[in-house]
Amino acid sequence: MKISKKLYSYYLIWPALLIYSIFFVLPALIGLFYSFTDWRLDRETIKFIGWDNFERIFTDKTLLLAMKNTCIFAVVTVLGKNLLGIALAVGLNMKLKSKNFLRAIFYSPSILSVLVISIVFTPMLRSEGTINRIFDAVGLHSLSQAWLTNPSIVIWTVAAVSIWQHTGFQMAIYLAGLQSISKDYYEAATIDGAGSWRSFVSITLPLLLPAININLMLTLIGGLKVFSEVFVLTGGGPGNASQVVGTIILRSFGEGSWGLGTAVNTLLFAAVTIIAIPLLIFMRRKEVSE
Amino acid sequence: MGYSRKLAWRNYLVEGLLILSSLLIILPLLIMIFGSFMTSTEVLKFSLRLPDKWMFSNYAEVFREGGLGRAFLNGMLITGISSILNILTSSAAAFILVRRETKLANFLYMFFFMGLIAPMSTITTIRVVQWMGFYGSITSVIFIYASLNAAFSVFLYSGFIRSIPKALDEVAFLEGANTFDVFFKIVTPLIIPVNATVAIMVFMSVWNDITIPLYFLTDSSDWTMPLSVYNFYGKYSRDWNLIFADLVLTSLPVFILYLFCQKYIVSGLTAGAVKG
Repeated sequence: MKISKKLYSYYLIWPALLIYSIFFVLPALIGLFYSFTDWRLDRETIKFIGWDNFERIFTDKTLLLAMKNTCIFAVVTVLGKNLLGIALAVGLNMKLKSKNFLRAIFYSPSILSVLVISIVFTPMLRSEGTINRIFDAVGLHSLSQAWLTNPSIVIWTVAAVSIWQHTGFQMAIYLAGLQSISKDYYEAATIDGAGSWRSFVSITLPLLLPAININLMLTLIGGLKVFSEVFVLTGGGPGNASQVVGTIILRSFGEGSWGLGTAVNTLLFAAVTIIAIPLLIFMRRKEVSE
Repeated sequence: MGYSRKLAWRNYLVEGLLILSSLLIILPLLIMIFGSFMTSTEVLKFSLRLPDKWMFSNYAEVFREGGLGRAFLNGMLITGISSILNILTSSAAAFILVRRETKLANFLYMFFFMGLIAPMSTITTIRVVQWMGFYGSITSVIFIYASLNAAFSVFLYSGFIRSIPKALDEVAFLEGANTFDVFFKIVTPLIIPVNATVAIMVFMSVWNDITIPLYFLTDSSDWTMPLSVYNFYGKYSRDWNLIFADLVLTSLPVFILYLFCQKYIVSGLTAGAVKG
């Protein structure tokens, strides 16, 4: 007996489809159009100007720096959150007395607002702040830094705060992945004489691929979309040293240069899609062939 | 014998290392919590110590000065309605997308999935909302959150609904039920745990967000808690005890939600991320 697919009427899709299309997809399409115009707050008419906005993005020092910073932030946080996340998950998957307590502790910052964490870290990262005082107290004066006001390290500091806050979330997904791996594999490997590192490389990592896949996607996409951390911790400063694509869009909006702002957004959209989709396809294929 | 002793020793070493590194997480949070009970001069050292005198009055002052009562209600209204709207519409859409299995349904699934990847176009969204005539309102923010979370929710619901046997629907259809009945009377009761997961995830991300209110809530009387805190942080930049009290109050709702709903978060992550 087979029921007709027609019984599942499409009208149940409409509410979600309408909300999603009007408030998410439509603005993206309109943005694509406005990227090629000189749309400004203070001008009545809108003129089509071809690739001018994009040319400006690739010749303007601040905009280039913002794109470079976005890439640094994305790469650093992807590596940090995933390497530390796997390490924590493997550790907390062992038979430890305090494991439930420790899991809750490591997860806890990720349920809080980025705003809260960024404000808490602001005074601690000052030159005379808590972190430098700790370095001084243990005799590591050379590690003391002007974490948020030294232009050459500020984006790394922001990335570190983000890693501090969100690694626990990645850890939770890795833990869920580890718990779905049968213990039999490890027993068999031990009997065959495999050490812990060998078991980790040959059993844990391959079977953890679905979790690695989703975590890489989440951290990469989140990293490219970064905004709140920079907005609260540095406001893009000192000077423009920590501008990212997200803060540039806010600035273009404030200045009324909307055509340029949407062009920056279009570029971000293209970048995320170009990087994420092949990664997604590649990872899916690898998972299937396991 | 020797092997298991080596294992036990290794466990102690790992446990010690993990406890040490967990201090790195606890210390900043305790500096915030203890600091929120200090006087404005005592807090300025930003070091970990108990307050000399517990100033519970900081909380009362923040609540008065920061306009937090209003911001709390705004946040509850925005977060509550956008979560419910998101749950109702996404689960219904996922149900049809999973059951139809046509080319169009596959295409629509990918269409929603793109929303997980693509960044939002903020400036043009403002334009669209202006054209519709409700820019600056709480209503616009509710719809924007529902649309921003649509992709994630459809993705999560699809995974679960796929595991519900079609035979259940068939029986109902044979007895003359329509799509609406089947969805609300048969599928909805079965996906209550997923609803909880989606509700918590959406609640946390919406409650904690500052980006959307920053762009879309033009009137400060509509602001949510984090945005009010941000404003307060700018105005009271000397009184870190009050700022910390403000941060603790903003974090309290999600923290309480987390305490009561831990198991839904974990089961949601397992089902959505690892199996899906």
